Amino acid sequence: MTAGSLLAWRPGRLLTGIAIALAIAVLIVSLLATLWIAGQRFPTTGSNVADIGHLVRMSAIQAGISTVLSIATGIAIAWTIDRLRFPGRALVIGLLSTALVLPALVVVSGLVGIWGRNGWANAVLGLFGQSTGGSIFGLGGIIAAHVILNGAFAGRIFIDRLAAIPPEKLKLGRSLGLSAGRRFAVIDAPALASSIPGLAATIFLLCFTSFPIVLTLGGGPANQTLEVAIYQSVRLDFDLGAAVKLALVQLLVCAAIIIPATTLSPAATLFGRRTQIVWPERRAVSLMQAGLLALLLIGFIAPLAVVLMRGLGPAMGSLLSQPAFWRATGTSLAIGTLSALLALALALGLAMARAMMAGNRPARAALGLPVFTYLAVPAVVLSLGFFLLARFLGIPTAMAAPVVLVIANALLALPFVFAALAPPLEALLNRHARLIRALGLSSLTQWRRIEWPLLGQPLGYALAVAFVFSLGDLGVISLFGTSEFSTLPWMMYRAFGAYRTNDAEAIAAVLLILSVTAFVGIPKLFEKLTHA
Amino acid sequence: MVRVIRTSLYAAALGALALPAIAQDTPTLTVYTYDAFAADWGPGPALKEGFEAQCGCTLDFVSAEDSISALRRVQLEAETTRADIVLGLDTATIGEGMATGLFVEHGLDLPAFDIPLDWTDEVFVPFDYGYFAFVYDTETLATPPASFEDLIALPDDFKVVIQDPRSSTPGLGLILWIKALYGDGASDIWQGLAPHVLTVTSGWSESYDLFLSGEADMVLSYTTSPAYHVIAEDEDRYQAAKFTQGHYTQIEVAGILAASPDQELAREFLAYLVSPQAQAVIPETNWMYPVTEPEGGLNPGFDAMIDPQPALLLDAEAVTANTRAWIDEAFAALQ
Repeated sequence: MTAGSLLAWRPGRLLTGIAIALAIAVLIVSLLATLWIAGQRFPTTGSNVADIGHLVRMSAIQAGISTVLSIATGIAIAWTIDRLRFPGRALVIGLLSTALVLPALVVVSGLVGIWGRNGWANAVLGLFGQSTGGSIFGLGGIIAAHVILNGAFAGRIFIDRLAAIPPEKLKLGRSLGLSAGRRFAVIDAPALASSIPGLAATIFLLCFTSFPIVLTLGGGPANQTLEVAIYQSVRLDFDLGAAVKLALVQLLVCAAIIIPATTLSPAATLFGRRTQIVWPERRAVSLMQAGLLALLLIGFIAPLAVVLMRGLGPAMGSLLSQPAFWRATGTSLAIGTLSALLALALALGLAMARAMMAGNRPARAALGLPVFTYLAVPAVVLSLGFFLLARFLGIPTAMAAPVVLVIANALLALPFVFAALAPPLEALLNRHARLIRALGLSSLTQWRRIEWPLLGQPLGYALAVAFVFSLGDLGVISLFGTSEFSTLPWMMYRAFGAYRTNDAEAIAAVLLILSVTAFVGIPKLFEKLTHA
Repeated sequence: MVRVIRTSLYAAALGALALPAIAQDTPTLTVYTYDAFAADWGPGPALKEGFEAQCGCTLDFVSAEDSISALRRVQLEAETTRADIVLGLDTATIGEGMATGLFVEHGLDLPAFDIPLDWTDEVFVPFDYGYFAFVYDTETLATPPASFEDLIALPDDFKVVIQDPRSSTPGLGLILWIKALYGDGASDIWQGLAPHVLTVTSGWSESYDLFLSGEADMVLSYTTSPAYHVIAEDEDRYQAAKFTQGHYTQIEVAGILAASPDQELAREFLAYLVSPQAQAVIPETNWMYPVTEPEGGLNPGFDAMIDPQPALLLDAEAVTANTRAWIDEAFAALQ
């Protein structure tokens, strides 16, 4: 008997999950279809995108390497931080996934500030007459950037999984005197396993489609992604049909990654209360972990420190006195909050339905697929699709803009929210399945008595990710007519575009502070709420 | 929770519905343009104020990501577009605009323009112009290269940062600049440049930021970029490198759409756009040269800019017909 069949049968939950999955599928299909239909109306010179096979291969290799390294890095981070206790630990954890959600321009700027030829690393090495030698631009730079962004995110998710290992397991392991290696293999690895496929799929998609980072750090047209080609057929050639075709190619490639990931993902089993047990490693291992921690701080936190230091200059004062800044902040916060709640609701709906399907692989795939689909569609195609769809539905574009932004951001954040939420939810349900059955709890009581109180930490983190994602993203409404409507990232790009680098850097620092506050504050808040 | 979100979305949508009911009695002129033009720091707000004071109308700027996107939006909206004018196409994209067949002749008696060529276009009206150039930092570079050959001859660790011609105006400008100078030899120049290209960014902002952080010795930008630093920051360390063979010209234009119901008002706006009053707004918000003598003269900060003569410009039709091939040629050489 599989664990899934022990779960109480909840048709309401299943139907909600199916409805969400269908709604997302319908949305994506309509977006592509409107674009395709519109494409038939325009004469086109024909987009001739050279060598799609080559582009796909290049992107896939880059994304594959980035994904493997990110997951490995994430495990190393989680392994280190799980074992060590040091002042500022909560802040370091809060900072970990911040880079992922900041606008690419900010991230690249921070990275280059450390590793560029004029960066801190060379400044420090220069004191000893050395230099970093290599350049951050090129395939190496792209992969480094992706690993720093996604490795930290993976690490953040893994830390939670390790923290949720039931204390009795740890006590038993300690009394058996497991070595560091055995301990990882026997206790840690099973706790991490259920999160890896979903995370890997998310990270692969992110690296596969990553457009600004690849372009900026790419060092030239040799390193390109399919997404850039799609951008060209839309913008320059206005060949919408070709754009849809390329988008479908990208979707297919991504599906080849997503379907196995969602189907094969093992059902999560380990879930316990946040444990206070500290079981430090032997001295040699601890020293190694301290070394890793130092590397981590340099690699992951220093670029953010650069962003902060550049931003906290005199420009900050004048920025804070601009009404436009406060309007943009208000809009960003409102959109962030709405999209975060929507993303959380969608992820919960899908995850609850999926948890009931433990033994049923096709059903798991069907409920997991919509989570990632949106990420696999190029932003420029989504942007045009939404624009045409709004017109088709007769909604004036300026009015549709905020609604589209909320929906788009929620869907964009969905894989990340899902990665944070689905494995713990599933583990929790499996652990308490017998109890729920025996007590004959209703769906609502199950939520109020079991899921809500025990999921505080992941819920809080999931909400924080979704919230900050929406603060940082702006890609999708470029056609919507937005001079009156501004968000913080938008204002930042405008400032950069108007030579106002100081203003832009100050806004970047504000975005960073908001993100860290959300990442530290929202999970804390949820822990309080759920334990009340 | 889902219900809460739905309700607030409806509320937001309904709130927005109430807005456009205002000002039905005065005519509205809608101008589609690029974001930086309409945004707070661009010329948009001052032009809106200036034009509304004289026209008894409402001037609405609707911005897209860039001017090509603004044009694409008009194409997508077809006969239902609200746009009367598309503003911001330039000498590299005029051909795309003409090919849509959406524009009409302006029929205006325009003033003599102070731009580097005879303007005879009956459809598009120029409102500012500039030249592409590489900008450098005088504190780290004493003698900048004076030609593409000079640049190529420098050691490989001399880096420039440029932009993707498919997504950026200066990026496309460089393709045309090199083509205008070298014709069939352009590919060799690109090959020579390849080791010096630090990276190709999607937008101008990313490049300029890399340059300002000292990652590259020069950035592809405009001859007028240093004027911003001089006038707004009182900083004169940044200069444009003068290439003796000349600099490629960018002229930005506006055109009236045939679908505009109020052609008279649209013409009035174009006339205003080239008036001394409007031309006074543009240089220090768009950081480009005015096309006619602005009210109160041009800020002396612009005097220190290099003389870009001879000004280079390719025929608009040739540009439209060959842009893709030229981009492919450049990319093939860069790889």
